[in-house]
Amino acid sequence: MKNLKKALSLIFALSLALTVFSGCNRSSGEESVGKVRYLNFKPESADIYKEIAKEYEKETGVKVIVETAANNAYESTLAAKMATDEAPTLFQINGPKGYANWKDYCADLSDTKLYEHLTDKSLAVEVDGKVFGIPYVVEGYGIIYNEALTDKYFALPNKAVDFDSMDDVNSFAELKAVVEDMQKNREALGIDGVFAATSLKTGEDWRWQTHLANLPLYYEFEKNKVDLTSDKTGEIGFDYADNFKNIFDLYINNSTVDRKTLGTKTVVDSMAEFALEKCVMVQNGNWAWSQISDVSGNKVKAENLEFLPIYIGADGEEKQGLCIGTENFYAINSKASEEDQKAAEDFIYWLYSSSTGKKFVTEDLGFIAPFDTFNDNEEPQDPLAQEVLDWMDEDGIKTVPWNFTIFPSQTFKEGFGSSLLKYAQGTKEWSAVKSDMVDSWKKESQSSTK
Amino acid sequence: MNTSLKKYFPIFVLPTLLAFILAFILPFVIGVGLSFTEFTTVENASFNGVQNYIRAFTTDTDFLRSLGFTAAFTIVSVVTVNVFAFMLSLALTRSIRGTNLFRSVFFMPNLIGGIVLGYIWNLLINGVLSAFGVDITFKTEYGFWGLVILTNWQLIGYMMVIYIAGLQNIPTSLLEAASIDGASSFKTLMKIKIPMVMPSITICTFLTLTNSFKMFDQNLALTAGAPEKTTEMLALNIYNTFYGRVGWQGVGQAKAVVFFVIVAIIAFFQLRLTGSREVEH
Amino acid sequence: MQKRSVANLVLFAALCLLAAVFLIPLVIVLINSFKSSLYISGAPFELPNAETFNGLNNYINGLTTSGFFAAFLRSVFITVVSVILIVVGTAMTAWYIVRVKSRFNKALYYIFVFSMIVPFQMVMYTMTYIVNKVNFDNVFGITLVYLGFGAGLSVFMLSGFIKSIPLEIEEAATIDGCNPLQSFFMVVLPILKPTAITVAILNAMWIWNDYLLPYLVLGTDEKTIPVAIQIAMQGAYGATDYGGLMAMLVLAIIPIIIFYASCQKYIIKGVVAGAVKG
Repeated sequence: MKNLKKALSLIFALSLALTVFSGCNRSSGEESVGKVRYLNFKPESADIYKEIAKEYEKETGVKVIVETAANNAYESTLAAKMATDEAPTLFQINGPKGYANWKDYCADLSDTKLYEHLTDKSLAVEVDGKVFGIPYVVEGYGIIYNEALTDKYFALPNKAVDFDSMDDVNSFAELKAVVEDMQKNREALGIDGVFAATSLKTGEDWRWQTHLANLPLYYEFEKNKVDLTSDKTGEIGFDYADNFKNIFDLYINNSTVDRKTLGTKTVVDSMAEFALEKCVMVQNGNWAWSQISDVSGNKVKAENLEFLPIYIGADGEEKQGLCIGTENFYAINSKASEEDQKAAEDFIYWLYSSSTGKKFVTEDLGFIAPFDTFNDNEEPQDPLAQEVLDWMDEDGIKTVPWNFTIFPSQTFKEGFGSSLLKYAQGTKEWSAVKSDMVDSWKKESQSSTK
Repeated sequence: MNTSLKKYFPIFVLPTLLAFILAFILPFVIGVGLSFTEFTTVENASFNGVQNYIRAFTTDTDFLRSLGFTAAFTIVSVVTVNVFAFMLSLALTRSIRGTNLFRSVFFMPNLIGGIVLGYIWNLLINGVLSAFGVDITFKTEYGFWGLVILTNWQLIGYMMVIYIAGLQNIPTSLLEAASIDGASSFKTLMKIKIPMVMPSITICTFLTLTNSFKMFDQNLALTAGAPEKTTEMLALNIYNTFYGRVGWQGVGQAKAVVFFVIVAIIAFFQLRLTGSREVEH
Repeated sequence: MQKRSVANLVLFAALCLLAAVFLIPLVIVLINSFKSSLYISGAPFELPNAETFNGLNNYINGLTTSGFFAAFLRSVFITVVSVILIVVGTAMTAWYIVRVKSRFNKALYYIFVFSMIVPFQMVMYTMTYIVNKVNFDNVFGITLVYLGFGAGLSVFMLSGFIKSIPLEIEEAATIDGCNPLQSFFMVVLPILKPTAITVAILNAMWIWNDYLLPYLVLGTDEKTIPVAIQIAMQGAYGATDYGGLMAMLVLAIIPIIIFYASCQKYIIKGVVAGAVKG
């Protein structure tokens, strides 16, 4: 009898579990107001988006669910999520390549209010007169340096260069001279090295395999007058490979750490070194401000942050500016319900036009927004964004666009990144890095277009 | 009995069967089908014949390389794990103090999950290598031996326990007879112990074989394929093909089918071997 | 005799040394969990000192930011419920297909056995898709996924045992007026206990440690312990906090050690039985 009781209670528990479970089915399908499901690209802004969502729901009653993909995993996360019932209604594509991957899912945005307010319509992802991606942020990157430390260096009595400030540096040769002499004087300057660690851990290498690689390719496309929208980009020669090597060598040989250990270094490591004044320079973009200011024990003062263009030793680089552009385009899921698409559209318009939304954009996200809903005093106040804006207004300076939006695939970038790691560790010849890069570009271009 | 139970099919079998259909049968059948199509989200699949299989072996050279790496790793692991485990089991079947405690200690790592194991060894190996100014991503060999060490740490205790059970099943009369005949302990080992634990050896070999061949978590946590994907094993390669590349899901599924076929062949041989031994006994 | 005891002493010393080697990795993780993040990956073998000692901060910071406690509870819930479902569900199924002889049941048995050899990668993509479509992608649904996935080995092991139970015992129960449900829970299940424990242990170990299935089914919002560790390590939210990771590893291992210490006998037996059968 005791056993029967036990058995019965077990069955009871089991059926209870089943009822609980079946009661948990989602019941949101009937709602007439849509909701927004946003797959965020920027891990560093994940918390801010959650706050924005909360605020938006408070103001309008519309629910915004924010999910964030890990570094370098946006495309794969999107691919996984798109197959689910919780497919994002608002996502982003990284330009024409991203559009090609997701064209079945991109709704036409040409009639949206946000597109109307886009200052420079040529920035949008446009195909056959239809708009599929609206850029929502303009960003710039270059070499961030700490002017307090460079000034300290220029004041050294035994410095080997005859410049007096970083303003005099506008070519690779000059940069190299300064950096190498600074590295020699690192003890006097109280630093471990000039450049922060070149983070080459898997998933942490985008500053090199994507951002730095933009420069040699920019010069190559300029030289060969390649139309970037044509299929002429299916093959490259990596003609400026030696220039890439120049700057890359400079980074890894004049750094805080030994080049062999770069496989364990992360972006956070680099930014922490910079914040703690263990180094003078780091290649990164204006989005990195919070990664500097939030480091506990940060010693870098906002007014000492400056940007230097990444010089690689190409002809005419004296006029070269920062790399400014975007790889962030809003796209709305065309397979989502009408209401949900409308909700996504309203949400992004609110974010970039209402006073609450704009405040989030400029102050918290720190975005330079490319819309005419923002006036001049609604610019982000963080020092790096200010620097980017200054460089954009500089006379006679030519900004480098973000051509990496046409890099063939994530696989290509990852392959190039791990190739660079092996080169840094000294187990791969530069010529092999170059030829592998060219081969992989060709192969990946073919396989993604078929 | 038979007839009255028969009516109870909905209660006894149906719940498990439904879960089984959902979690295994349907995914398996659809998976085989999808390997002949091109798709990104299952719903947009379009038939493309054996194109995926061709791409898996031609366009994507990583697949064959990871097959080679996995095979090499598996062979080394099977040999090292079983040799060490067998030696340990011999030591622990001599009446020594604290045998039980030793057995518990050696067995324990087996209970710890692959992800946790991977990060423990990542810390240790990088700690050692940092003395030489490098880390585990420096060379393929480092990742390879790192995985072998990890696998040994994890599996030796497990296999040891099975060998101990085998050794303890040898009739003592047999061993006594040998020692009366004046056989050396080496001779006893070769002529009695090893032949008598042959079934255990077969079982352990196949357990190590399938465990090493299908390894995923440990691989992901320890090396994640670095450097340049040269330490990427089959399971991780398939995973990366599915989730790392848009438009390659079909190829991923084709690779998975190939993977399944290899595992099935191994299992078939195991069945043949263990089956024939059971008949002998 | 003298020679033998010396040899044994040497062997004993060697085994002690080896046992230390087996335990050191865990000790090192424990030590590092008290060091601050900057001093872990570079120098894991150094003991904490005044500069590097971080008290319980790793446990507090690392665990609160990663949602580890929620992950812990989730892991416990999923493991316990799944194991109960698997043991009861597959025992019932195994008994039925052994006792009711039909072609269908025989075929079913072979499909269950077949499923044991299919690697997870073969079905992961389609399984994730289907599970999402039927709304099983939550902590409740995943237990049913585990039931389906764990069914193969469990049915196989339990059927093997059931075949060895003499029919007379069950027939006696039927004569006493038990319906099949009563016979199963009052007569069959108690006899099955040893194998059921083995099945429970094998499945508990698998589910507790499983990474890929919960990662694919539940995603990163509803993390289990292995998923939480992997995500923390990838630095998905901008920072890789080694200190927090060490604390997580320690807390992931502790329940296993407690579980092991409290039912070691069953675990070793179960694993051996599982190995021999599987």
